[in-house]
Amino acid sequence: MFKRPSSRRKSGHREVQLNLVPILDTLVTLISFLLFSMAFLNLASIESAFPVASSEAQANQLKTKPLQLTLKVEETQTKIWSYFELIKPTFVPHLEPGKPDSVRIHQALVTIKKQFPTEKSIVFEPNSGTNYDSIISVMDAARNLEPSDESIYFKDPATGREEVAKRLFPDIVFGNLMGDR
Amino acid sequence: MAFRRSIKNRRRRRRIGSEFELPLTSMMDVLVIILVFLLKTYSTSQNNLSTVKGIQLPISSSVDTPTDSHQVIVTPEAITFEDERVVEFEQSTEALSASDAKYRFKEADLQDGGRKIVPLYDALIRARDQSEMLRVKSKARDAQGNPLPFDGIMAIQADKRISYDTVRKIMYTGASAGYRVFRLLAMKRDT
Repeated sequence: MFKRPSSRRKSGHREVQLNLVPILDTLVTLISFLLFSMAFLNLASIESAFPVASSEAQANQLKTKPLQLTLKVEETQTKIWSYFELIKPTFVPHLEPGKPDSVRIHQALVTIKKQFPTEKSIVFEPNSGTNYDSIISVMDAARNLEPSDESIYFKDPATGREEVAKRLFPDIVFGNLMGDR
Repeated sequence: MAFRRSIKNRRRRRRIGSEFELPLTSMMDVLVIILVFLLKTYSTSQNNLSTVKGIQLPISSSVDTPTDSHQVIVTPEAITFEDERVVEFEQSTEALSASDAKYRFKEADLQDGGRKIVPLYDALIRARDQSEMLRVKSKARDAQGNPLPFDGIMAIQADKRISYDTVRKIMYTGASAGYRVFRLLAMKRDT
């Protein structure tokens, strides 16, 4: 008498092999795509328009004197002043010859921004020997508000609502492009 | 006899070799890790701005990302405009050992009391003409149906040792050629 064959072997795990080759192909294609379209050069930009002189008629139309905040990098110090003398000039000594103290310049500008919260522009006049690194650091100090800075509130003339200033003086114009010093 | 056995063994070994399977699972692991890393650090670029070898860019906290524009690259060796060297600086022997950049313009390259860089001006004018011609041929039009005006944006990528005097000359030259907006480029600070 024959016994019924055991079903144990048949019901056991059948070895299924996942075909990894197409998955590998997909991964390689994805990696190549990412590598090709990736930006390895992470650049930031600071925009500045070429200064245009306003006409005499336009200047006469101004009811109030503008601040015309100017930041001048000299040999040993940085001078922050207003052409129309609306603020007292501030002098910030350099950290070392040719290296402006951008932290203290930033602090001085934050104080001015509190007095003139709607003002957005600043005239920048670096010394001819100032290097590009210092130019960028001073421009950063003049444009951006740090998270550690005190909030500056102002009434938006367009909407009439109170808002928080997001930037310090973002519109920078080089004031001495035609000069020699 | 021993010699024959050796041949047999060698054949057997070869047979084993032909059945060898590449361990794809570990390879998959590696590729998945690379993929995750790339996706995490992925950032696309809206521009085709490039750089040159050896340039030391300053670091900026600006959050503005530059868009496509004509680009001038300044190093202590040369001025490059759109991947073409237009000005070579004169180098002194002490410049090789100096930490500061020591370079100067050739006298023949300057005009307008030393403010305008002639080879750069010529290159900028050529690029502007080309850009305006492309705008005339393009189907994009303004509200009046005229070709879009030349945007006049110039990106300046300078080595951190370059003096303002050189940057000022470049901006003056750019303004003379009709470029009215300057984008000073730097490396973005990691947040």
